Amino acid sequence: MQKSVVILAAVSIAGAALAEAALTLPEEGSISRADGQAAFERIYEVVTHPRCANCHVGADNIPMWSGPSYGEARPHGMHINAGESRIGAEFLPCQTCHVTSDDFDTAPHAAPRFGIAWQLAPVEFEWFGKSRAEICAQLKDPERNGGRDWRELVEHLEHDASLNGPVAWGWSPGGDREPAPRTLEEHVEDMALWGAAGQPCPQG
Amino acid sequence: MKLTVNGTEHEVDVEPEMPLLWVLRDELNIKGPKYGCGIAQCGACTVHVDGMAVRSCQLPVGDLEGEVTTIEGLGTPESLHAVQAAWVAHQVAQCGYCQSGQIMQAAALLDLNPAPTDAEIDAVMSGNLCRCGTYPRIRAAIHDAAQKLSEA
Repeated sequence: MQKSVVILAAVSIAGAALAEAALTLPEEGSISRADGQAAFERIYEVVTHPRCANCHVGADNIPMWSGPSYGEARPHGMHINAGESRIGAEFLPCQTCHVTSDDFDTAPHAAPRFGIAWQLAPVEFEWFGKSRAEICAQLKDPERNGGRDWRELVEHLEHDASLNGPVAWGWSPGGDREPAPRTLEEHVEDMALWGAAGQPCPQG
Repeated sequence: MKLTVNGTEHEVDVEPEMPLLWVLRDELNIKGPKYGCGIAQCGACTVHVDGMAVRSCQLPVGDLEGEVTTIEGLGTPESLHAVQAAWVAHQVAQCGYCQSGQIMQAAALLDLNPAPTDAEIDAVMSGNLCRCGTYPRIRAAIHDAAQKLSEA
């Protein structure tokens, strides 16, 4: 960990949410390429984890069920298709089962929930089954990351977490679900380290 | 806390984490919504919140925002909702346990999609299980109700 990066995080009782965070961003260029690549490796482990990747799926708009409790990865049960709206408006709205609540504590096999409307990520943010190089290229491409530079990616994580959105939920998923690797605070810090190192990408 | 169900406001003294289904059945004695699985796997507890189908077993009542409609408020015996009338005409129910949830989900479907295809009906209704296997009659009744609503 870089000592120059300071995270001030207030962890809420509701579920390890990053309720109030202020990350002192490192100077651009102050992080070595090697440290940036190492940070990206950790980011890759997070974004391809089932808590994150299951709803970062492609143009078929079908969320996935994968992770230790599922064995082989499979499409979401119940014939679910979130449609081009990515919120299920064309078929069954995600929110029919995934209600909006700051209380992440659901039973195993119940529908998980978080503090903003449940939905698939935009189709251009596809992570499920993608390689390191593909995800790295997507994350740094403003055309495919919501128009964000690296500082705005950090802000995006902090903002979503402050709303008890999926970024907070990923590390406190409830119901015996496996959380994303390490901690939310480390993930935010890694996004900053990778950015300050010039967002280096792996080859393969 | 206060909540409005089928047009009537109620005051209940419950913990905010109590699921809406528990409040409806045990506090308000509204028994149309059924308990099947308690984990959003079966659809028997489906109600509407501001017109959208919601599994009431999943919603902590403290997070309820909007007016609740249960099968008791969808139509009346004198004036059935088109989906209820189609259910009678097609004699959809067998044991009937899931049918309140099926009807509420079907009504919400037709609100969003007035003329669904077979594939669209399957996509929307697959979260509502019927262990008697009345699915072909459910599909036929939804097409019938869609037709009736389009003529209204």
